[in-house]
Amino acid sequence: MTVEERSPMQFEGIRPPHIHMGFSKDELMLKTFLMLSIIAIGSSIIMGINALIHILTALGTVFVIHTLIISFQKWKKKPVSYDSYTSTLVAGMIVGLAMPIAGPFYITAAVALVTVLVFKFGQNWLFIRKYINPAAGAKTVLLGLLSIMLFWEESLSIGQLFHPHHLDLNLWTAEGFEASMWIFQRVTIFGRDLSATASLLFWQTHGWIGGACGILVLIVGSIAVVWLRYKWRIVGSALLTMIGLAVVFGLIVRDDILLRISFHVFTGSFIFMVFFMATEPQSTPLPEISQIIFGVALAVITFFLQLLNVLGGSIFALVLLNLATPFLDKIGFRKPYGFKSKKQRRSLR
Amino acid sequence: MKSFKEKGRFEITLGIKESVAEKPVKIVPPAEIMSVYLKQHLGVPTQPQVQIGDSVKFGQILGDLEENQKVYAAVHSPVNGKVIDITTQKNPFSNKVEQIIKIQTEDAKTNQVFEKLNPETASKEDLLNRVKKAGIVGLGGATYPTHLKLGTPNRITNLIINAKESDPNTSSDYRLMVEKPDEVLKGIQVMAKILNVHDIIVATRTKEGMTPHLDAILQEHGIRVVRMRPNYSIGSEKLLIKEILGYEVPQGHYPPEIGIVVHNIATVYAVYEAVYEGLPLVSRGITFYSEQTGGENLWVRIGTPIEHIFNFLNISPTIFEKTIMGSIFMGPSLESLNIPIEKGTTAITGFSKDRSKPYADEIPCIRCNYCNIVCPVDIYPQLIMEATKKENVTLLKKLHVEVCIDCGLCSYVCPSLIKFTPYLLKGKKLIKT
Repeated sequence: MTVEERSPMQFEGIRPPHIHMGFSKDELMLKTFLMLSIIAIGSSIIMGINALIHILTALGTVFVIHTLIISFQKWKKKPVSYDSYTSTLVAGMIVGLAMPIAGPFYITAAVALVTVLVFKFGQNWLFIRKYINPAAGAKTVLLGLLSIMLFWEESLSIGQLFHPHHLDLNLWTAEGFEASMWIFQRVTIFGRDLSATASLLFWQTHGWIGGACGILVLIVGSIAVVWLRYKWRIVGSALLTMIGLAVVFGLIVRDDILLRISFHVFTGSFIFMVFFMATEPQSTPLPEISQIIFGVALAVITFFLQLLNVLGGSIFALVLLNLATPFLDKIGFRKPYGFKSKKQRRSLR
Repeated sequence: MKSFKEKGRFEITLGIKESVAEKPVKIVPPAEIMSVYLKQHLGVPTQPQVQIGDSVKFGQILGDLEENQKVYAAVHSPVNGKVIDITTQKNPFSNKVEQIIKIQTEDAKTNQVFEKLNPETASKEDLLNRVKKAGIVGLGGATYPTHLKLGTPNRITNLIINAKESDPNTSSDYRLMVEKPDEVLKGIQVMAKILNVHDIIVATRTKEGMTPHLDAILQEHGIRVVRMRPNYSIGSEKLLIKEILGYEVPQGHYPPEIGIVVHNIATVYAVYEAVYEGLPLVSRGITFYSEQTGGENLWVRIGTPIEHIFNFLNISPTIFEKTIMGSIFMGPSLESLNIPIEKGTTAITGFSKDRSKPYADEIPCIRCNYCNIVCPVDIYPQLIMEATKKENVTLLKKLHVEVCIDCGLCSYVCPSLIKFTPYLLKGKKLIKT
């Protein structure tokens, strides 16, 4: 059956255009996977074999779930939701990179399972499109459940949101902030002790796997944004807002501004999320001004959640803004040709 | 120049142009049966001025209207012959069934039809009337009657000649610049006289040295040559104006209303022929191309069936799964090879089976934003498609679907292989109703 026959539009003959650029969704996904793989390699070098196991666990889980779902659909002679594995593998890679290195592997497998089953296939089945970033949605659900068990001691040891030692951090004062940076000051590479700032930029051994090397994410993410034409306004506005907030807050509480910026921007949850999750096409707005609103709001919410010690707070912020996307799609339109300011128009004769 | 570069760094290969551009124009003799639509222009159809059985002379009026106020252009016989039928046939450009006159060709002779005019001594009215009599329309594909554009009551300060030839599958305008530079200059001068305009710009995609004679004579006569950046969408009239002069034409208005007139270079040549040679518009240049056979630049009489052109080129049409008329971005596909060349036909392109349906495997939209990035008029094809599906007229108005220029770039870049054009067209219709 041709697209003309399947389409709800009435076709007469074959409508133009008659050529296509040749760049497909699969190619977009494969190139995204390639970009993520570079970060995965970097993170595995920095964080060790556990990082690789997390990533492979996520990839293996999504592959199995995808196969089971499409096999079931074929067996039941239902239309297959996703023929290609490419976007599922990207989702799996994101899950792997979005997990904290300290977490148990079964949590990673569980998040990957929910990602594909509920937030990828499920959303597509229910709404025909994805309103929430699958990895972010799955992680929020699971970690939310774990957080409910906050006072169950055992849950704290595997807790992802309020990791026990985070509960004592005070990021609202200069002294508290400086004292909280101890975790980044324990890193020694090639016989050298790294400063907290250097560690945040180059070599984080805890936190999100994807953010192990902040600079690597920044470079690879920037290349991906340009190469694959991600929604750069979201990335740009989120990063600038976060830097701005860090500077302002640092000036108010009078602490090390550079460290403040490094902490808020380069903690794995934010830097990785902003490049590879906040640019997920389906769950983010299309109009340019709305993309900027999205990015700014994402940074503001994340910033305050970080101050509240919700160190994976960027995920909540993202899910919240994903839900606002249908509204954001109705505002913030650019002016089309012929509606620009009077300066750009020649007066009528 | 290997490719056109659009907004967002999207590229369009210019392989077709490169393979055909340097081939000299071949003249295609008329077919045994010529078929001439009575409406080959933007506006109302003309009425037949002949009857079945009438003998017709080359250049004789076949279709005309008496009401001067209407938007139309006369249609002329491309051959000496006999009217064998006046019937109806689907016109691929309008997608409607329209009147068509079939003529049995007696000979391929051509002759001067109107008295030759000397533009230096002829009045502006005489020249304008000649353009009207010759049935000239915009030959870039828009087919708006040229006499109406030249006869604008607005004061015109800029005349832009569009020699950019933006479609990636056409090179006939370039051949005119190479093979008929003096005639092109004369045509421009006639237009400038009618419009009483002194600031004339020839917008071209050619590089320095590609059309040396034309460049030299244009410079000699104080006509500016603006070399455009390699881009498909700025071939559109309104975008060309913005690119060259920096002005936007306010929505709902036309370029003459802000003192600018744009004409295609093929139209300029038709004006030359009408004034200097006394010829109506009965032939034009086109480019034929297919991957299997390569391409040719052809001079074809209007009314020549596509099938005849294939015969002339010794090509079996069965090798093509799909044949399209005009731009590969905007032209319709043909349901039959009996369809004749029209005034607005710029090209014929044949596609093999593996290339005929590049959008066949459409998948759901992933909202990647590519269509919005590439859109040259800054609208949102994806959001318009959603609004059209829901028939949300309020949102369609807010999204300004009426600004769409049907360039097809949104579909071209879509990784999900979605054809947006039908949704955009339907969206336009919805806000009108």
